[in-house]
Amino acid sequence: MMNRRNFNKLLVGSVALSFTACNSITSVSLPKNKKRVVVVGGGFGGATAAKYLKKFSPETEVILIEQNKEYYTCPFGNTVIAGMNDIEYIKHDYKTLESKYKIVVMHEKVKKVDGATSSVILENGQIIPFTKAVVSPGIDFKYEKGYVEGSEMYAPHAYKAGPQTSLLRKQLEDMKDGGTYVMVAPPNPFRCPPGPYERISLVAHYLKNNKPNSKIVILDQKKKFSKQGLFTEGWEKLYGDMIEWRSVDFGGKVLKVDPENKIVTTDEEDLKADVLNYIPSQKAGKLAFDSGLTQGDWCPVNTKTFESRLVKNVHVIGDASIATKMPKSGFSANSQAKIAALQIVRLLAKMPIVNPPKLANTCYSLLSPTYGISVAAVYEAHEDKIIKVKGSGGLSPMAASDSYRMQEAEYAVGWYKNQMADIFL
Amino acid sequence: MKKITATLFCLCSLSFAVEYDPIKGQMLSLSCASCHGTDGKSTTITPYIAGMGKTTLYKTLLEYKNGTKTGTMMQKHVKGFSDEELEQVSYYFSKVKR
Repeated sequence: MMNRRNFNKLLVGSVALSFTACNSITSVSLPKNKKRVVVVGGGFGGATAAKYLKKFSPETEVILIEQNKEYYTCPFGNTVIAGMNDIEYIKHDYKTLESKYKIVVMHEKVKKVDGATSSVILENGQIIPFTKAVVSPGIDFKYEKGYVEGSEMYAPHAYKAGPQTSLLRKQLEDMKDGGTYVMVAPPNPFRCPPGPYERISLVAHYLKNNKPNSKIVILDQKKKFSKQGLFTEGWEKLYGDMIEWRSVDFGGKVLKVDPENKIVTTDEEDLKADVLNYIPSQKAGKLAFDSGLTQGDWCPVNTKTFESRLVKNVHVIGDASIATKMPKSGFSANSQAKIAALQIVRLLAKMPIVNPPKLANTCYSLLSPTYGISVAAVYEAHEDKIIKVKGSGGLSPMAASDSYRMQEAEYAVGWYKNQMADIFL
Repeated sequence: MKKITATLFCLCSLSFAVEYDPIKGQMLSLSCASCHGTDGKSTTITPYIAGMGKTTLYKTLLEYKNGTKTGTMMQKHVKGFSDEELEQVSYYFSKVKR
């Protein structure tokens, strides 16, 4: 039923009503002004792109295709796992994008973005032609070492927010005092570099107040991690010796995992967890692969416009794109989405692109509800890469005062609320 | 003579201000919106900067850049922009209706 209604909505919204029907395949022709951008994926990248495309160019028809009616953010998901916020806190929807910005929102599964015919093919067979497409498919996991599809029901990754967030929360609540929380942290590159360590901090906050005899072990598949000095300093100060971090070189390397029994085999031991939070290695979302947008695990793009280097008129933003030196973060995706929207509107109007575009990233992490740290940087897009602007950015200082940390915790909340409004409202 | 001096003074003063480039100003403003809200219309603890006076905003940004004003975040961002870019972005936000 939803399919039909969405499709009718599209027909009504479309200037040109002529369409061809061929068996079950239906195709809506482009609007008269030939300006239709189809955005696939309604996360930080996609939802932002849709909103800003309309903001910059109200005459452009924007269709946002996202399979879920609700979106749960990974940022602040760790506060839900730790019981600081309810799951509703990170839940957002697309109603305002529809009503205020006149974006056509379709809750459908996309089979493929087809560059050859400039159209998006839905799983139900419908075909939606576009002038330009924006694809923001996020990440998928590499199944590895005994962690297979379905393992997340026993050893949640909770690295795509929603039911996984709630499951990890429940497992943490059910854990006995004196239990062991084991996290396997992924190798680079992965979504939100400080994310696993913020999670560990807030899990420690919960355990300290509720199950103080418990311990946390991080088996890291890397030698070092984001904001390591600041995290380590904060962990010692707030949680004593509750958290043990093992680098890949010193006992952290995972050889295999038994998710059902929550046993991780390292080169040193079989470690039995009471809660096993296994975050696998990552790659671009499946749709990117199905649409021929990938080279290796990720999507190469022209860094000034985010147009795919492999498929013309398809722009890839967010975690799936290769936008180094920008980290894979929600903030980066939001920043990239706005630049991509700006450039697409200019390209559709046959105007020169803004050159060079500048982008930014800011990542706040909470070590407790009143202890925040941050990292930030400004970036400039050059011909084939994005560079960090020299002298920009940096980390919160080490050994800062309690009030400084508290202020950053408050700004973290401030960022989240404004960021959500910038995307969804 | 007075007239000439006055004219010269005006010309010199003007040369300090860049001409507003709305496209550049808008482009540069986009990453600000993530923390400060769309078009700077913050609803949180992060300062509301929409419609702020151009000179006041520009001066504040320069102070963060040269270190006379300190904070937790802004100094990390302003150092990524030239003075001209900071002025352009100040123009942009000054022109947003509150």
